[in-house]
Amino acid sequence: MNVLEYIKQNITYLDGGMGTLLQKRGLLPGELPERWNVSHPEVIVEIQKSYFDAGSNIVCTNTFGANCLKFDEEELPVLIRAAVENARRAKELSTGTQEKFIALDIGSIGKLLKPYGDYDFEDAVSVYAKTVEIGAQCGVDLIFIETMNDSYDTKAALLAAKENSDLPVFVSNAYGEDGKLMTGATPAVMVAMLEGMQADAIGANCSLGPKQLKRVVEEYLEYASVPVLLKPNAGLPRSENGQTVYDVLPEEFSQDVAEYVASGVRIAGGCCGTTPDYIRAVVEKTAGLTPVPLREKNRTLISSYTHAVEFSTSPILIGERINPTGKKRFKEALRSNDINYILGEGLSQQEKGVHVLDVNVGLPEIDEVKMLRTVCYELQAIIDLPLQIDTTDVTAMEQALRYYNGKAMINSVNGKQEVMRQIFPLVRKYGGLVVCLTLDEEGIPEQAERRVEIARNIIRTAEEYGIPKKDLIFDTLAMAVSADSHAALATLQSLNTIRHELGCHTSLGVSNVSFGLPNREIITASFFSLAMENGLSAAIMNPNSAEMMKSYYSFRALHGIDLNCADYIENIGRYATVATTPGVPGGSTAGVGSAQDGTPIQSDLQRAIVKGLKEQAAELTVAMLETVEPLQIVSEHIIPALDIVGQGFEKKTMYLPQLLMSAEASQNAFEQIKKKMSEGPSESVSRGKFVIATVHGDIHDIGKNIVKLILENYGFDVIDLGKDVPSETVVDAVIEQNAPLVGLSALMTTTVPAMEETIKQLRQRAPFAKVVVGGAVLTQEYADSIGADYYAKDAMATVRYAMQQTEA
Amino acid sequence: MQENTIFIKQYHAGDALFPVNEKEIARYAGYYGANDTMEEGVNALMHLVMDEMRDALSFRVCYRRMDVVWENGRPVLQSDSGPNREEKWLSSSAMLAECLAGSSEVVLFAATAGLAIDRYIAKNQRISPTKALFAQAYGAERVESLCNGFCREMELQAAKSGLSCTARFSPGYGDLKLETQKDVFRMLDCSRQIGVTLNDSLLMTPSKSVTAIFGIGECVGGKRRNKCRDCGKTDCELRTVEEER
Repeated sequence: MNVLEYIKQNITYLDGGMGTLLQKRGLLPGELPERWNVSHPEVIVEIQKSYFDAGSNIVCTNTFGANCLKFDEEELPVLIRAAVENARRAKELSTGTQEKFIALDIGSIGKLLKPYGDYDFEDAVSVYAKTVEIGAQCGVDLIFIETMNDSYDTKAALLAAKENSDLPVFVSNAYGEDGKLMTGATPAVMVAMLEGMQADAIGANCSLGPKQLKRVVEEYLEYASVPVLLKPNAGLPRSENGQTVYDVLPEEFSQDVAEYVASGVRIAGGCCGTTPDYIRAVVEKTAGLTPVPLREKNRTLISSYTHAVEFSTSPILIGERINPTGKKRFKEALRSNDINYILGEGLSQQEKGVHVLDVNVGLPEIDEVKMLRTVCYELQAIIDLPLQIDTTDVTAMEQALRYYNGKAMINSVNGKQEVMRQIFPLVRKYGGLVVCLTLDEEGIPEQAERRVEIARNIIRTAEEYGIPKKDLIFDTLAMAVSADSHAALATLQSLNTIRHELGCHTSLGVSNVSFGLPNREIITASFFSLAMENGLSAAIMNPNSAEMMKSYYSFRALHGIDLNCADYIENIGRYATVATTPGVPGGSTAGVGSAQDGTPIQSDLQRAIVKGLKEQAAELTVAMLETVEPLQIVSEHIIPALDIVGQGFEKKTMYLPQLLMSAEASQNAFEQIKKKMSEGPSESVSRGKFVIATVHGDIHDIGKNIVKLILENYGFDVIDLGKDVPSETVVDAVIEQNAPLVGLSALMTTTVPAMEETIKQLRQRAPFAKVVVGGAVLTQEYADSIGADYYAKDAMATVRYAMQQTEA
Repeated sequence: MQENTIFIKQYHAGDALFPVNEKEIARYAGYYGANDTMEEGVNALMHLVMDEMRDALSFRVCYRRMDVVWENGRPVLQSDSGPNREEKWLSSSAMLAECLAGSSEVVLFAATAGLAIDRYIAKNQRISPTKALFAQAYGAERVESLCNGFCREMELQAAKSGLSCTARFSPGYGDLKLETQKDVFRMLDCSRQIGVTLNDSLLMTPSKSVTAIFGIGECVGGKRRNKCRDCGKTDCELRTVEEER
């Protein structure tokens, strides 16, 4: 019988611990257990046979760490083949009469992926792929991915399994006491992502005993429609009279596991510390139970790498600001690769309370595939909101979905056969909640009935691709009511029918409705309220619109979603009054005060910068710009303030936090100046270009970022290449920008060679550039030995050197 | 077979075992005017960062306790006599041997304050580099405090059996090569146990993680080093001249 058929009809038993048993039989600390497949096959067979004898249906091969990072090309296939052969032998020798299957066991490769680690996602996929390929050739019945403590790593392993075999795949994650993976994902996140990617069974193993996993198991059972598996530890190991004991014994363990089986777990076994006795006890305790029938849970989830967002009664807000349409500044940011600006739009929307960020970076003149991938990646590095990937470019869509950590929203398909043919296979492969526009080859129907018909057609087609209704969200298309008085009604009626009769979720880009009308915000917000009343599940909207936010909080309070109106009370104050234009704060007098070292302070702006008061610095600059020339403010107020702080820092009367706070304040002032100057003819204030990077292999860049900020303050045009930057990239940038100055940072002795290599290449290909080096590990001697032009002990030293070079 | 087991501990960062040393945070952030009181605005920002991060900290330690024998004045792991000859790293450093003098066992551990700190730093580098700076300092102080707390617990545990502990010693310090991190990771299975990974440049992620080793014995006479005074990097901005404890 096929394992998938078997798990549908039966409670299925997994095996128990392997590593702990090998240690009892003499595996040494630090020794790789996979080698025992060849050196001690009789021990492996004996253990696996005893699991089959105890009643396990599925026994995992001894291949937890069998990957090409740990073993070379020759050894890896030998070990995997031997492992499968051992399991097969155990199966043959076992006296157990139950159905028996062999699972290729795959554990984490133990590398943290980018952006927090330095291992590339695609490289991880390749490592897993190698193990899968070899294992699949050996003829196993399924693949068991287990003890994964990071969602992205899990995705890489599952993707590799799916792309390199047709075998069933079970996926099991390891949760901490906080009910999360080490990198923060909750069970709901994993359910959303893994079901979306077609895992055949999912669940939890290792880390904790059965009791501590209660919350985790409950969350799986609440959300998962596929069979849930559980493989807990025998509690935690502790030391007793010099012996290691696990604190949960077979009796208690099996009792607990039986309770989970009774409440819906379909596949059960044990992990660290468990033995065949534990499995035997579980089999006995659950013998009389009938498996809880599998049921489609119909929960619509999307996720980031830390949390899931569910589409239910409370409307979901999707921030629309990451989109160049009609935004000059945004287009400029895309053209100049100004990722920071785009990230800023994401951060500010998160602050305003949106639940999802729409990401659209399509501009005819840019490489959208690359840009979309980069922006999604960078957003996921700093913001934990799920993303809605918004593009008409199928390749860009595929790339973004492949690298996305979680289950994304996909914007969009429509009733056109061609579009569905392109997008649905991607949804099937990577998972996702797809926005479906109710239009087709004939355009947008005026009648609500026709839009509903298109929706039905989309549901049918999606089903053919194996995509359930819960993963479709319908946009019935808001049209300008100024052009057609019945436009809004058609939208609302079709929305209502799709939500309540077809049982699907709905979404709208609400602002289109007010196109061509004055005071658009007011009618848009009213339409938003009506749409929510008609069953709107999500809105693509501008969270900067106070009217929209008022409607949102009011609707939730009025609909019994916001208990005790708590959210309304907490948030509405922000929107109740119209924001006043920032002005000069009262009570300040110019020309008083002094810096810490007694240098007189000339103005309030100067003081704000010296004291590091960000908001005040911006406000004072705005006020000052009404009467004073921008460049005059820079030279007479900002630069002198920076000098006070810079000199204070050098004299050690002021310290790094103060230097940085001032830099942030002056940056705010500069923003206002730039804004003003962009209105008039452009005038360059740059002192020159400065390329900066943390060298290859080094992944910490806080020091480099400090230097960058201070350099920018002093008027340098800083080209920041980021961290872990290969030598070639640095040299290419220096040549392309014709930059006279390069700053390199390294934190570790192990990465100084990369710095040396970069300097060497710079000397050959860009001899015109001066190289400044810095970082925790560097000294003057070190800098000299690797051929740098200058060793800067801190940010100010870099500035002084850079100024000296540009003035020379 | 105790030495074959990797033990794991999870703590609440707010536990009394881990007192917060604000002076140390300020110092790590580069505010090292010895006796200066901190400027109000700076102090407020530091506390804001501490407040924002407090709940995100996740303290985890994994460790392994192993017997050692002494050969030619250097500690050697018992398991070294078996077929697995890779454990030589322990005897590779004279300074480590001095530190462990008199020990009959060693504890090898890895501790981390969690990935949330790195996330907070990454996000704030975009918004407020000063906050990122304080977050980095707070994280450094926290993981140090975690190590202190863990070691104190182990000392108390050892004392019950009439044993005492040496000071701790980390790879990369003195003549114990940073490369020994690879051995430590192999022995402790850090990635699986507590989510700490090592990259090819021997950097750990989460960044606020520490690995170290200390000895246990009936009569440990190991040299207690002053981590600053005995360190070779004499131009270090963070160098303090504390009295030896």
